[in-house]
Amino acid sequence: MKKTYWEEELEGFNRESLENLQVERLNKTLGNAMRSPYYKKLFKAKGIKPGTIKSVAQIRDLPFTTKQDLRDNFPYGFLSLPKKEIIRLHSSSGTTGNPTVIFHNRHDINSWANLMARSLFCAGVRDTDVFQNISGYGLFTGGLGFQYGIERLGCLSIPAGAGNSLRQIKLMQDYGTTVAHAIPSYLGRLYEVFEQQNLDPKKDTLLHTLVIGAEPHTEEQRLRIEEMFGVKAYNSYGLSEMNGPGVAFECTYQNGLHIWEDAFLIEIVNPDTLEPVPDGEYGELVMTTLDREAMPIIRYRTRDITRIIPGECKCGRVHRRIDRIVGRSDDMFIIKGCNVFPMQIEGVLLKIPEVNTNYLINLETINGIDEMVVNVEVNKEWFTGDLRKLDLLAKQITAKIRDEVLAKPIVKLVEPGTIPQPEGKAVRVKDKRNNGLK
Amino acid sequence: MAYEISIFLENKIGHFERITRILKEGEINIRSMSINDTANGWGILNLLVNNPKKAYKVLEEAGVSVALKEVIALEMKDQAGGLNELLLKVAQAKVNFNNANGRIIEATKSAILILDVPNIDESKKKLIDNGIQFIDDNTIYGN
Repeated sequence: MKKTYWEEELEGFNRESLENLQVERLNKTLGNAMRSPYYKKLFKAKGIKPGTIKSVAQIRDLPFTTKQDLRDNFPYGFLSLPKKEIIRLHSSSGTTGNPTVIFHNRHDINSWANLMARSLFCAGVRDTDVFQNISGYGLFTGGLGFQYGIERLGCLSIPAGAGNSLRQIKLMQDYGTTVAHAIPSYLGRLYEVFEQQNLDPKKDTLLHTLVIGAEPHTEEQRLRIEEMFGVKAYNSYGLSEMNGPGVAFECTYQNGLHIWEDAFLIEIVNPDTLEPVPDGEYGELVMTTLDREAMPIIRYRTRDITRIIPGECKCGRVHRRIDRIVGRSDDMFIIKGCNVFPMQIEGVLLKIPEVNTNYLINLETINGIDEMVVNVEVNKEWFTGDLRKLDLLAKQITAKIRDEVLAKPIVKLVEPGTIPQPEGKAVRVKDKRNNGLK
Repeated sequence: MAYEISIFLENKIGHFERITRILKEGEINIRSMSINDTANGWGILNLLVNNPKKAYKVLEEAGVSVALKEVIALEMKDQAGGLNELLLKVAQAKVNFNNANGRIIEATKSAILILDVPNIDESKKKLIDNGIQFIDDNTIYGN
């Protein structure tokens, strides 16, 4: 019999069974969380007792967890198991403040790989496919997260890593890649290189599917990617705090992303009042892990703005769909697949006396590539009239920002007094990108 | 001692003009100039003016990134081979420089070569040791 779902029982069952499973897993999760120093203290103070949850609505009685909480309790404050049980960590970039680190035991890695395989299967990827993962391997979750899912699904995996477009194209041609995963802004660049080589991905590759994620993009940009490559492009959503990729994925109907509710309890709240908003209305996505043992996180404020798409999907999956991410409830932005907070840039500049602390970040598409242009003022007091020193300074700032946020910026030195002084909540970031897609 | 003023300048319409306006209002006369451009949208403007300290002050007060920089001023003949003759001596003294500009003092007779050197004290010593003379301030600034 032809398989419709990766896991018939967990995807196709009814809402009631799903919610029963959620209640059961939430109690288990609270029990696990109770073993971490952070939640132990918090639950005690708030009188929260694991095992007392009777319905999913009771999630609202539990406290929120923020990125700051994770950082403040770095590195082991959220760890629920002895270190001996842990087999992997993934961590955010950053050298100034504490990074965000997530620990996994064998169960967690296994569960994540399964969710990733389920996600890809739901987008029509099968074990007969050749899957090229154009994503950074290492601490970033897009590499290994996809890798384990691709292998679990049974595709031939090509762990290509990020960048080097000529090699990406050669790999596609040599091994007959049928599916690739990349950030949307990179695909515009990759297409340009195809053109420069007088190649047409529609004719000269076997690609039929692209998985795009880690960066917000519009429906128009998706359609453009589909047209350029002659493929179906599926939106992937994830965040490192919730493992990474494999949190929510589009099915072949391409009408919203099914969020895997057996593994994550989701809420959409008004970011100001923190009250739930009705289905269909935009708000901040709040998530609770339901199947993670090493590091459960309760009511995590993702800061991503989305909505629940009301109604059922034609694919028959019971897991609700979220809409594409339309923004953030904080000032984070994503460039070259890296999450960047303006505060990180500020932190770097504060330590460089040769420049003023006033700065402006322009996100622009230059030659088809999305770039982060950081404008910084040369400090009058430190100016010596030496061109070499200034050139070196620009290079040093570039390197320091890159070390901090992982994405390489273009540093532009400007005259003092030309960047407007911030008043109140300063607009430090101007987004003029078109995601590398003209 | 010879001084140049160096100004950090973005490569944008009107920015150089603004500098000259500030100098005009300060009644500063520009004797010679050079611009070092980078590929990154900015450059350094070097000016030899009649009163470097005053020029520095008026630009500083106008909020410009400006530096007062000691340079080396040498005399050469204003005729074919004049610069070559001088640079041969500079090369023999083993002095390297980052930027240079020149101007005529008296046509067909003499001219000034301004050298912006990486290490001013060491370079001056090498030139003196090789018998190369510096020009006096009045000639440099044309006062």
